[in-house]
Amino acid sequence: MRVGIEVGGTFTDLVAVDRESLRTAKVPSTPASPDLGAMNAIEAAGLDPAGIEELVHGSTVATNAVLERKGAAVCLFVTKGTRDLLLLQRHDKEAIYDLRYRKPEPVVPRRHVVEIDERMAADGAAIKAPDHAAVADLVRRVLADGHYEAAAVCFLHAYANPDHERTVAGIIRELAPSLPVTCSSDVTREFREYERASTTALAAYVQPVMAGYVNRFAAALAGRGFAGRFSIMQSNGGRMPAEAMARNAISALFSGPAAGVVGAVRSVAGAGYRNLITLDMGGTSTDVALIADGRPELASMTRIDGLPVKTPVIDIVTVGAGGGSIAWVDDGGLLRTGPGSAGAMPGPACYRRGGDRPTVTDAHLVRGTLRPDAFLGGRMEVDREAARRVCGPLAERFAVTVEEIADNVVRLAEVSIVRAIQRVSTERGRDPRDYVLVPFGGAGPLHAARVAEDLAIGTVIVPPNAGVLSASGLLLSDHVHYRTRTRRLAVTQANMADIRNTVELLQAEARDYLAGLGVETGADFDRVLDMRYLGQAFEVSVPLSDPDLERLGAEDLVSLFGEAHRRIFEFAKPHGDPVEVVSFRVGVRAPPPPMPAMAGPQAGRAGGRGSTRLTERGEALDAGLLSRADLGPAAARGPLLIDDGSATIYVPPGWTAARDGHDNAVLRKETTP
Amino acid sequence: MKVSPVDQAVITQALIAAADEMGIKLVRSAHSPVVREAQDCSAAILDRKGRVVSQADLIPIQLGSVTHTFRACLEHHPLETLREGDFLVNNDPYSGGQHLPDIFLFSPIFLDGVLIGVTATVVHHIDLGGGAPGLNPDAGDVHEEGITFPPSCYSVERDWNGGPFERLVRANVRMPEATIGDINAQFAANAVGGERLKGLCRKFGMDTVFSAMDEMLDYSERRIRAAIRAAPDGVYSGEAWLDDDGAGDEPVPVRAGLTIDGDSIAVDFAGTAPQVATNMNSPFASTVSSAIACIKAVLTDPDIPFNEGAERAITVTAPYGCLVNPRPPAPVRARLLPSYRVVNAVMNALAGAVPEKVIAPGFDTTTVSCISHKHVGGYNIYLEIFGGGYGAGPGNDGCDAVDSMLSNCSNIPIEAMESDYPFFRVEDYSLRAASGGGGRQRGGMGFQRIYRILDDGVTFATYGDRFRFAAQGLFGGGPGAKAETFVERGGQRIPLKSKQQFPLSPGDRLTVRTGGGGGYGPAGERNPGLAERDRLDGFRSNPG
Repeated sequence: MRVGIEVGGTFTDLVAVDRESLRTAKVPSTPASPDLGAMNAIEAAGLDPAGIEELVHGSTVATNAVLERKGAAVCLFVTKGTRDLLLLQRHDKEAIYDLRYRKPEPVVPRRHVVEIDERMAADGAAIKAPDHAAVADLVRRVLADGHYEAAAVCFLHAYANPDHERTVAGIIRELAPSLPVTCSSDVTREFREYERASTTALAAYVQPVMAGYVNRFAAALAGRGFAGRFSIMQSNGGRMPAEAMARNAISALFSGPAAGVVGAVRSVAGAGYRNLITLDMGGTSTDVALIADGRPELASMTRIDGLPVKTPVIDIVTVGAGGGSIAWVDDGGLLRTGPGSAGAMPGPACYRRGGDRPTVTDAHLVRGTLRPDAFLGGRMEVDREAARRVCGPLAERFAVTVEEIADNVVRLAEVSIVRAIQRVSTERGRDPRDYVLVPFGGAGPLHAARVAEDLAIGTVIVPPNAGVLSASGLLLSDHVHYRTRTRRLAVTQANMADIRNTVELLQAEARDYLAGLGVETGADFDRVLDMRYLGQAFEVSVPLSDPDLERLGAEDLVSLFGEAHRRIFEFAKPHGDPVEVVSFRVGVRAPPPPMPAMAGPQAGRAGGRGSTRLTERGEALDAGLLSRADLGPAAARGPLLIDDGSATIYVPPGWTAARDGHDNAVLRKETTP
Repeated sequence: MKVSPVDQAVITQALIAAADEMGIKLVRSAHSPVVREAQDCSAAILDRKGRVVSQADLIPIQLGSVTHTFRACLEHHPLETLREGDFLVNNDPYSGGQHLPDIFLFSPIFLDGVLIGVTATVVHHIDLGGGAPGLNPDAGDVHEEGITFPPSCYSVERDWNGGPFERLVRANVRMPEATIGDINAQFAANAVGGERLKGLCRKFGMDTVFSAMDEMLDYSERRIRAAIRAAPDGVYSGEAWLDDDGAGDEPVPVRAGLTIDGDSIAVDFAGTAPQVATNMNSPFASTVSSAIACIKAVLTDPDIPFNEGAERAITVTAPYGCLVNPRPPAPVRARLLPSYRVVNAVMNALAGAVPEKVIAPGFDTTTVSCISHKHVGGYNIYLEIFGGGYGAGPGNDGCDAVDSMLSNCSNIPIEAMESDYPFFRVEDYSLRAASGGGGRQRGGMGFQRIYRILDDGVTFATYGDRFRFAAQGLFGGGPGAKAETFVERGGQRIPLKSKQQFPLSPGDRLTVRTGGGGGYGPAGERNPGLAERDRLDGFRSNPG
């Protein structure tokens, strides 16, 4: 038995598979100690921990530690003269006209930052080595009161030469053997000291929390007989053995959204789809990501609570458009939807928990694309009249019917989602028409066809079990480990051996690291060179395939870079303009054992046929009602509402829906003759 | 033609997004650290009549000038004469521009032969010739500050990419590779914006897009007017002072008279000092941008799209020949200094109308740190723009060590600097822990940067202010710390002036310190929790 458990903000989802069967469970999350919810899920699914050979887990423990500022007490050691690195940040403002602007609050306050008298040059030459005795004295003094739970070390130019960081870390370990120490050069070896220090501080900050959580959970599982392999999801969409994750918690910061993306990618891979855009719409926000050739693109930097994090993370764009997004009129008379949200409490007005402002969910009920009797498969009661009531004032203001205003509210939410997809596609030189849209989450399938249409995407694939896709993503994920290195090398024939050696060195390091954790890998590598024209400061990521690496000549590499640059910036310089490699990122993957088909029992109540009245895109329509179980291989024509148990799929007029051989619901835009 | 609310929302969002995308791509493909790390650049989309409809939120003072520089171009090259493949250029402070380094570049966009709009970018270029690399603090007129490109129209095919205009630029600047690279980044960003604009017109039809653009201008105007209407009518006045003109010792006043009348505001600068002989004059376009930026920040929601519609409700006038509306050929390189006093004077006047909405004066000074290195092969020029502490607000401490209001430059990472400029090393970059003005809310702190000079042939050039007059507190708050700059050489401390050029030698230690913001409310009313937190972190308010 292999089990994936994903702890989300509201629900904890479980997917369990053995050779032929699949089962799922959904229980409420227990935010105070998420492992309780996870245990509950195991019980709810009727599983015996002793029978679990492999458990893959994803949680928001690390994320919440940062958002709620409940991480460890960290002491940060920095180069002399840079004590205020975390407070100075980049000297700019996120909001230029905000007179009351505040910078994001660092996780290590100034009183816990200590300067060390050492210095490295930009080329990695030591200018001043740390004095062993003086550092030892200082460390002893600083750690004397035993207040600290973790230490972090970030020195200038440590990406070029980590020796001083290692020396000081060694001294700390000697004096305080139980204190976890994180060096910037171990977290990310890239230049720009603020971003690296922020990442290092965050890594040290979440690490003891994550270690405590993982160890507690592992002990509880062991106490119930679990003796299988235990691994944890990372932000890059791959997993890591739990004992390694307890030492590298920063890589789990964005594991939740990443698991969903991996679930989507792997779920539709069986049917042959390799180029897709995922759309995960929940209560307060929507996440989108673009996947080319079956591999999600990784961003080298992201932010949490405004603080930069430089670890590879699946490139996900989030917009504040979800079911709870509130519709309102601004002081210029414009109708807006979001980014304000009614959240889970009070939630939409139709939940009757005190919500008194119209939300996207209310608008769906009013215009008829959500039906009260099919809400969460009929398990949750909603009040359509309350929804109509809160939409009333907006309708009056614009002198239209409540159905019409509700229709506009939904469409404005879709506009925001379309924008998010453009940010991951057109703005990065990708044409959305070359992709299929894969929606999941509670509200994704309801909007997917219209969002696709706005982007001229002709196909929408709703995978089976779209409601627990993140949990299945855990089981479907590879073991992955990345190594990065900043190393500036001009792309010349003379340097090619060096470039190739650096890639191969990182490959070996990554493979050895996983091997040390008992994970054997083959030769499945992701290699990305961050490159730029000499004189530029921002790099363009250039992926290297196996054949690319084989024949790698200076000319080839310049061409690959030129193509990537043209795709993003719509120009490339003439050949002969000097190009350099700045950093190397290499990941190694070990795939999971094959999964049985994810089909399982088809969700959705059979026999809900009939039709319903709805208003959509300004038109009143009679839409057919179907249960997902009723969907066959023959194309059914929209307008249709398909109930799949955890979500409603909307098939607009001009679209068809059918079930493919992998139990996906496939929506296609009919070509107009 | 009336556009449906949904189409309006789609087109509005797309145009704002297109301007943002232009800005991001400009930064990412540029060459000079002043653009790529410090982000001293802006981007905008203009409609078919040359009105700014959307802008990337980058540098407020540059954005306000896009309209004025383009209008000046149109006087010589009317819209109907523009052809596909043309570009227009202008950096003339006396034709709507800012200072010479800010080159405004415009690309008219055509679809099926019809002009559908114009994309615009502005970049602060590292060096455009003149009497000294990067910055000539001693310039006596605008000609000594560098080369002027008057409002003109060229053809990309004929005049750029090795053509005569490119060769003209190349021949007149000290770091031609960086400058040409940065102008190419402007062309590329303009092209990206052009593609987005064409895509929108293809999808919605030109007429719908044109109508939606008209509505964007009206919409911003409506929202600004609504905000002004909420402020009490009346005539208010404010003033602010510069230390000096950089040559003499006389303080230089900026005075603003502000009239709120229903839903419009008029600002006049009568009583402001006459223009000065040094580079501290604010071209009129800078003055207008600064006054409008201040009014917008104080009165309105930050989410009002800033476009030409926003300017309709505000009129700005100033006597010709004064500090904030100088006659040519007065030098203007340090124009942000008087522009910031424009902000302070207008804010000071607004304090009379809406005391609950203003903040205390901040350091509000652009301090330029320019270190150039002349070597056998040519020049290498480092230039960075420093802010300081923000003034405290009614409910918040002032932001520490951040660029001031009219600008939004990032710092250049030490690790990038030391790799690009091997002629110095940064020994210290830290907050000035006792520089924020005391008060119920503390003023933001300034910071210091210490450079160790490592080679011969190095020169420091700077301009700044608040060496004599600190940012004052508001409603009982204390003043922020003043700025200072000095060089340590052989055990001796050589104080530098706020505006000067100074040759450096290997081993010199150069310290640049920026000041803090004023406090808000009496210090005795400070929340003890906040006071304790400051104490633990080693922060104290400025002893005054």
